[in-house]
Amino acid sequence: MTAQDKILYVANKLGLTSLQNMQASTGAVYDVDTEASGQIFSNATRHVNPSVANIADNQFEVNEALLIETVGFYGRIADSQGTLAGFVNNLQTTYGSNFVIVYDIIIGNKRVQKDTPVFGSGSPYCFATNAIRLTNFEEDPNDLVFAPRHQVYSEAVGILIPPQVQFYVEYRLFNVVTGAQIPISVDAQIGCYLYGTKVLLNFNTSI
Amino acid sequence: MNQITKLGYVDNKLGAPNDGQQTTRILFNTIEAPGTTSTLVFFKNFQGLTNGQTNLTSNKLATMESMVIKTIMLTQFATDGTLQNFGNRKQQTVSIIVGNQTVVKNLPIQFNTGENGQAFDRLHTNAGATIGIFGANTPTKQIMMPIEIRLLTDIVIPPQVEFEVRVESTQADYGTGAVVCALSGYGKIFSAGNTF
Repeated sequence: MTAQDKILYVANKLGLTSLQNMQASTGAVYDVDTEASGQIFSNATRHVNPSVANIADNQFEVNEALLIETVGFYGRIADSQGTLAGFVNNLQTTYGSNFVIVYDIIIGNKRVQKDTPVFGSGSPYCFATNAIRLTNFEEDPNDLVFAPRHQVYSEAVGILIPPQVQFYVEYRLFNVVTGAQIPISVDAQIGCYLYGTKVLLNFNTSI
Repeated sequence: MNQITKLGYVDNKLGAPNDGQQTTRILFNTIEAPGTTSTLVFFKNFQGLTNGQTNLTSNKLATMESMVIKTIMLTQFATDGTLQNFGNRKQQTVSIIVGNQTVVKNLPIQFNTGENGQAFDRLHTNAGATIGIFGANTPTKQIMMPIEIRLLTDIVIPPQVEFEVRVESTQADYGTGAVVCALSGYGKIFSAGNTF
């Protein structure tokens, strides 16, 4: 089953007969937990676009959908932090290699991914954790330092967020060595993106 | 046969329900302060572990939950959170036991650290450096990668069947921090098809 087959299969199950006529595309939605609430996307309506989020609400409009194929987490430096405000960075630089994010994805009333870990040292995917090599690191001239990827690639096909259904990511942050919960910092904020095959609204008649 | 078909096939053979929510599943378990030992057994002890150290409460999946293991990941941390070479670079083997059956047997793992660069699969690059040559490894400056092995067949953990992961060596040093094992792949979680 391809990504597009899966979208049409779910659309058919949900009675969304017009989805097949829409524009297939590639897309990603992102948001940052600026309130340190432990939820991402649920407060998107209050966030600045595109500095913090690229969606105005945590649901897609009519005839738009996203098949989640990759979930990624990243850091964002808070707006209060002077010249670095709004910078996107790797979470390891703030929380270290030993953090683990344990997250759920909730679509409507349903938890579709549960207790999924994202490890600070890189997540369990051969393809994903090959990482990026940082060269000429200013404060530490170490040309073999890695910035590990904090992503989860969907096995099989992915999970569809249908049109007009609310979705959010719920997460907690832990120290995997001690098991202690790490307080979520409002200065070193945590963001999440959902990437995959997107369906865009397409008017087949002129308006 | 892909992961979805294989999981459906095995669930069907075992008479397990086949209509759960399809998802990507990552199970993980931590052993704190393992020290020097010849055998590590993951997914055996859940006593005292928090949700940040394991996402299971017993060594089996719940009713109506099952998954395919596609990737094994093994990580070792020092007490301050710095990533370490797993088992201090000694040769080790991993076995996965599901029910009464060994489904992965004595698979060598040490080639697959990012530092060694001899990984089985072509996609795992020759990454990492020996500590001390290119600067110190710190919690926020990682110069090696965890061990990761992508399995070539789809190994199923059915609902309500005990499983464990065993790592064997000759007195490997796992330090006083923690070691973590994660199993990831396609899975199914409970989904109520109808309203309660």
